[in-house]
Amino acid sequence: MGVADRLERLINLVIALRETRVPLRAAEIRERVAGYGQPDPDTFRRMFERDKADLRQLGVPVETAPIDRWGDQVGYRIDPRRYDLPPLALAPDELAALALAVEATGLGDVGSVALRKLEVDAGQPGIWRRAGGRPRGFEVALDEPHRDVLATAQVTRTAVRFTYRPARAEPAERTVEPHGLVHRRGVWYLVGRDRAREARRAFRLDRIEGAVREVGGPRGYPVPETPVGVDDVVPEAPAEVATAVVAASPEVAWQVARRARGAGEADGDWTVFTVPVGDPTQFCEWLREHGPEVEVRAPAELRSKLVASLQELLAQVEDIAGGGRP
Amino acid sequence: MTRPTATLRRLERILVMVPWLLDQPGVGIDEVAERFDVDREELLDDLDLLGYCGLPGYGGGDLIETSVFGDQVEVRMAHYFKRPLRLSVREAVTLLLAARALGGVEGLPESAPLTRAAEALERLLGAEAGAGARIAIDLAAAGDEHVPELRDAIHRRRVVRLTYRSGDGRTTTREVEPWTLAAVGGAWYLQGHCRLAGGPRDFRLDRIRELDATGQAADAPPEVIPPPVYRPAHGDPSVVLDLAPAARWVIEWAVVDAVEPARDDRTRVTLRTADLDWAARMVLRLGADAAVVAPAELAVRVGELARATLERYRRS
Repeated sequence: MGVADRLERLINLVIALRETRVPLRAAEIRERVAGYGQPDPDTFRRMFERDKADLRQLGVPVETAPIDRWGDQVGYRIDPRRYDLPPLALAPDELAALALAVEATGLGDVGSVALRKLEVDAGQPGIWRRAGGRPRGFEVALDEPHRDVLATAQVTRTAVRFTYRPARAEPAERTVEPHGLVHRRGVWYLVGRDRAREARRAFRLDRIEGAVREVGGPRGYPVPETPVGVDDVVPEAPAEVATAVVAASPEVAWQVARRARGAGEADGDWTVFTVPVGDPTQFCEWLREHGPEVEVRAPAELRSKLVASLQELLAQVEDIAGGGRP
Repeated sequence: MTRPTATLRRLERILVMVPWLLDQPGVGIDEVAERFDVDREELLDDLDLLGYCGLPGYGGGDLIETSVFGDQVEVRMAHYFKRPLRLSVREAVTLLLAARALGGVEGLPESAPLTRAAEALERLLGAEAGAGARIAIDLAAAGDEHVPELRDAIHRRRVVRLTYRSGDGRTTTREVEPWTLAAVGGAWYLQGHCRLAGGPRDFRLDRIRELDATGQAADAPPEVIPPPVYRPAHGDPSVVLDLAPAARWVIEWAVVDAVEPARDDRTRVTLRTADLDWAARMVLRLGADAAVVAPAELAVRVGELARATLERYRRS
């Protein structure tokens, strides 16, 4: 059978199911809808099952409904109210910006069809194509396995189960009611209620092992009262334990200035800054990364902590370097 | 989720095209082809097959009427296809993701329209499923204050001048023909043709010390720009490090070739680098949490940096 025949049959099926007053039984569909003229009931069944599945995959709401009072017989229909896109009437600048965003995020596979629907809704199909071609200039990496599955689960309020591998513990199975998804610093997180722990937790998507399975159906838990935001995945900021006096060479002073309080004071061609210290270990990492271009002058403990870590590192690498040079 | 077949893609296009055609009697066939990104022949086929579709009975008054006269198209008698098919949850979530991602970047002309579009999509999803979609995307990273100015230079195709401190600690001033801005792995990058290096280069925005417009016109960017991640080239040295638990984040952060358990609770990681000076800075940063296993040359460079740094503390 040709592609055109199959397309015609699918379109005719959509029209028939949409326009019927009462749900149509399979036998009625076989008799009435053009393209199903099949003498063999099994062949018809296979065709119809496949068509139904394909339409549902596109998002056509093919419903099954009882047609007698006892529910012994079922029929099929499409509720026009569930088929029709409600008006959104996006403005041309909103459509153009969305087209850029879809392109930038590489979500065109699903996004371009979706965008086309909104363009037609606004009476502006292909608006960006007519305005000068593919929008460019941005690339945002948002890909992550499980992202779409979890986003859909959150919207439909479907609980999920997966194996989670925390940073410092053995992998374990978790059952979670998704409250939201957060992307921060290049990492996707699921925020949701962990059923076993009876509390809200954040899970890194890249630490989910294997598949995400749905547990129970949609609307499986109440709408969470607390909204989800970036703060849900920001580790609690370490309380500021001290301030440090950091001198920076002209080479890196502009980078140190980003963390500093105030503009700093000149010391020759170096600049001396006051910099708040949160976690001293991370602070030392940051200082070491700048090598000889920065010097911490106070407090004394931080200074000796840094010197000690550098001496330890030096001892370590001198072993290797010495071994490599006879 | 499986991808729709070519047939279903075509059905999808027909279902979204018909509502617009019903609204635009006599529209030019080339305009339709351009707006829906379909070639003329396939479009004529679509119109032809629509003429065989309609209400059961399929008599005179039941079929969709399509006509093509000269260069003009008309579709009638398809009131049931007056509206496009509703967005699926997945489609609405996809558009929302895109809108939230770019809409959260401050200072872009697109920010406000994207925020409005995201709100409309959230209302739609809320009506659909009750809970609405709760997606927060934060692309903030050090140096992102340069994004609006660079976006403008890309848009107007103008060369920019950067004073740039690269990962190996060297500062240079260079002219760059800007192609694209990329947010990858928690950092923003400018990708473009570097006139100093004579080839394509990626620049992390937090390493840009100064940014100036030059007003010079730049060439058009290439069709395909590979993402700004390190791709090992032939001859790039391998680096082997033993990481303490506190430094394990390197495994998730860098492009690593191999990971295996090492002595004590350390992890041995093998990665390649285009530049041993970059690797030396990273080891220096990790301090005693990383031990260099190979190559000896890396140990030498780390040693030099550590000694130079310690020297500063001895003097003062």
